[in-house]
Amino acid sequence: MSAQQEAPIVAEPRVERSRPRPVASWRDHHAWSAGASLRRLMSRPVGTLLTVAVMALALALPLTFYLLLGNVQKMGQALGQNQAVSVFMQPGQTGPAVEMMATKLRERADVASVAIKSPQQGMDELARMQGFSGALNTLDSNPLPYALEVLPKPEASADDVARLVTDLRALQGVDLVQDSGTWRQRLDALLGVGNRVVLILAALLALAVLLVVGNTVRVDIASRSEEIGVLMLIGASGAFVRRPYLYAGIWYGLFSGLLAAGMALLIEMALAEPVTRLGHVYEGKLQIGMLPLWLLGAVPLAAAVLGWLGARLVSAWQLRKAA
Amino acid sequence: MIRFDQVSKRYEGGHEALSQLSFQVAPGEMAFVTGHSGAGKSTLLKLLGLIERPSHGSISLDGQSLAKIGRGGIPKLRRRIGMVFQDHRLLMDRTVFANVELPLVIGGVAPAERGRRVRAALEKVGLLAYERQLPATLSTGEQQRVGIARAIVAKPTLLIADEPTGNLDPQLAVEIMGLFAEFQQVGTTVLVASHDLPLIKRMRKRVVVLDHGRLVADIAAEEVL
Repeated sequence: MSAQQEAPIVAEPRVERSRPRPVASWRDHHAWSAGASLRRLMSRPVGTLLTVAVMALALALPLTFYLLLGNVQKMGQALGQNQAVSVFMQPGQTGPAVEMMATKLRERADVASVAIKSPQQGMDELARMQGFSGALNTLDSNPLPYALEVLPKPEASADDVARLVTDLRALQGVDLVQDSGTWRQRLDALLGVGNRVVLILAALLALAVLLVVGNTVRVDIASRSEEIGVLMLIGASGAFVRRPYLYAGIWYGLFSGLLAAGMALLIEMALAEPVTRLGHVYEGKLQIGMLPLWLLGAVPLAAAVLGWLGARLVSAWQLRKAA
Repeated sequence: MIRFDQVSKRYEGGHEALSQLSFQVAPGEMAFVTGHSGAGKSTLLKLLGLIERPSHGSISLDGQSLAKIGRGGIPKLRRRIGMVFQDHRLLMDRTVFANVELPLVIGGVAPAERGRRVRAALEKVGLLAYERQLPATLSTGEQQRVGIARAIVAKPTLLIADEPTGNLDPQLAVEIMGLFAEFQQVGTTVLVASHDLPLIKRMRKRVVVLDHGRLVADIAAEEVL
């Protein structure tokens, strides 16, 4: 032993005990507890990994549903942009009258464009369709009316489009209005249900995370009752004994949250290619919806809070039993 | 100063472990508590560490009545006491260093100071070279010495030991008792429960003799033959 270190244990008088340093001591306790619990988790990597993986799956599920729903919503919006409202004029409507109606419609705030399709253009389109050319040759005259392709503004909601359709039906000279956008209303309603399901699922799976952490901590405390007894005999307070278990809950939550965010990113990457291919079909209007960065950051933090909460709920009564 | 005043302890089920026990131990004094198995030695030490509460009577430590210490104050009291157990009660999944460090961590000692004091304690018990080892790799005697290092590292005012040499060979037992005597020489009050009469005689310290929970003899150090 060096001269500087000599006999500090038995040679120092009692009055030279450590001076009180409450803040530093509190900080040291937390650092020690955080480190000790992390080392304990690392000392049994398989068990820790399995627990973290189960929790990550529980967290990744609602994230994945959220991602899928977001993409279906975007898909609906993108496809909706391509859905023109077809207006079939009554037979006998003349070209100038239809042109006048188109001009009026173009002035509407909810209309992006109006294309006129003459009876001849309609006939040509039909002729290009396989199997129709023969049948059309048998007709004496062109039975097709003038038609308008009214394209709503991209930002128009389903309600806006429904209003537009009603207005179009009321126009004089209009025979039939074909609104293929009804499916969007149905899709929106289904997405509303889906969003609610995701919320319920997220709440249930958050509860599952809470229970997984709680049970893991319960087993951990039960297996360490002897250690807890020793700590209490040498002067550890209940808070000191409990702290490593709370940190264990935080670590479990944090790691599973990070893994879940990683899984969600992988699913995003897996979806990117087919969605991009689908987007090309719709002239690039369809792009993959990504999970927002704030959500990816919030998941590990929220999971850490859940882990802490699960550990806190269980450790309070379990430690009383163990001590 | 330790003061027992008419202390009795009756466990649930009716067994009376201590009966009307009164004695004092001066600060810095070393005393043995001896008696046959079941005489009440361990109960006496448990009452001092507030592991048990007396059924009757009062106990005070350095003028503080233990009866007035509530549940929240127990950890603080125990930090003033170093406890050595017959079965060591070491944490087997932690190194020797980590075991000895625990009271300092609990006491809020700064990390740098902890390292210095743990090594000093380990050097005192002759185990500095084993600081990185797990207790399971050590012999029973070495494990007991780790337990002693843990008990003294936070410089307790009182050191209590319950049959600390029970599992040790005679030579090692003498060494361990020698360590306790050294701590007493620097002002620590030491109370050792033991039924090893030859060893107690050899140490020539005060002896409190219990029989069925009653104090039957209180022999001063100079009167020990």
